[in-house]
Amino acid sequence: MTNSPDVELRLPAESAYVAVLRMTTAGLAARLDFTLDDIEDLRMAVGEACALVLENADPGGDLHANFDISDGSIRVSVSADSSRDSDPDQDSFGWQVLTALTSDVLTSNEGRQRWVSFTVRSSIAA
Amino acid sequence: MSVEEPGGGPSPPDPLVSPDVGAGRRRNPRRQPTARQLSTREVSHALFAELGDPSTSENRRNDCRDELVHLHLPLVEHCARRFMNRGEPLDDLLQVGTIGLIKSIDRFDDQRGVEFSTYATPTILGEIKRYFRDKGWAIRVPRRLQELRMSIGSVTGDMSQELGRSPTPREIAEKLGVSVEEVMEGIESTNAYSTLSLDAGDTGDEGGNNMLDSLGMDDEALANVEIRASVKPLIEQLPPRERRILLLRFFRGMTQSQIAEEIGVSQMHVSRLLNRTLDQLRTSMKDVS
Repeated sequence: MTNSPDVELRLPAESAYVAVLRMTTAGLAARLDFTLDDIEDLRMAVGEACALVLENADPGGDLHANFDISDGSIRVSVSADSSRDSDPDQDSFGWQVLTALTSDVLTSNEGRQRWVSFTVRSSIAA
Repeated sequence: MSVEEPGGGPSPPDPLVSPDVGAGRRRNPRRQPTARQLSTREVSHALFAELGDPSTSENRRNDCRDELVHLHLPLVEHCARRFMNRGEPLDDLLQVGTIGLIKSIDRFDDQRGVEFSTYATPTILGEIKRYFRDKGWAIRVPRRLQELRMSIGSVTGDMSQELGRSPTPREIAEKLGVSVEEVMEGIESTNAYSTLSLDAGDTGDEGGNNMLDSLGMDDEALANVEIRASVKPLIEQLPPRERRILLLRFFRGMTQSQIAEEIGVSQMHVSRLLNRTLDQLRTSMKDVS
């Protein structure tokens, strides 16, 4: 996660701010010429990924979002500070949705930050 | 006059008994009219004639108008039902629809030879649509965005047909002659449309269900997802011919004889292969679970 991302966003780790993140993601995807369906998938994926990291997030912490933008694809990584030592539940509905909508879903830890990252590619061949 | 009490007035044919009078007749004017339909139309004509007669007293005129409203309430209901399940309670739609009905009764000219229902339907629909446009929004969204949202909606439909995929915001922007930002704004504004309280009543008219009750249901199709996921690798392991037969039978819906012809074996053989394959799948499914 350390390779410098193109866009970074830091928000309070509260579900109320997930909407802002979704909107931002949609805006970025629009710049990349994603189709409306892709954008809709992406928004949903961001929502689910945030739900996964926020589940174990420490109250009052930060929600980090990094966007790696390249031609025709966008890699989103979200993380929250968590002192609990638990990975996202891979049997959960949210995880299923995320893996269904996106590719290369990964979880990783970096200090206290638990990351969930995934890639969405434009359905227009780039 | 009371707008909310459909059965309240002394209207000769009870409107609740024949709920689709106006629309039914409009759709098929040549249909043999039943006694009730005929009488509805006749009553309507008579009332309009009386209403238009300068010698009718003011009181009688009001009564006529009342009766006409009650007589045509089923038409309002028919129109309002077309907008059910769009986030607005049916009762509200009935009310605004009834306003449309009253307007059309006041404007209708029986001398023109047009059926009243033909005349009233667009007015009632218009009133309901306007209600959606003006009142359906949770927060006040500028008219510009409301219209943009609608054109995005229709353009998206058209372009999906043309392109065979959903369009990109840029493509929509070019088509509409606006900027990509505006398109995104328009899409975003969709989310501002009608956020109903979870406790709000269902749009249907029966039962006291609210939206909260309708949440958290297990989708029956979910079980199929699981089955599909577990069957898929098994199907992939099948020999190509067996897989092909399975595909032709259950996805293309071909009969065993058609498959036999396509593959070049006898129908009996197809039947045997099919049975064996299904058995095989069934046993491996059991092994898995």
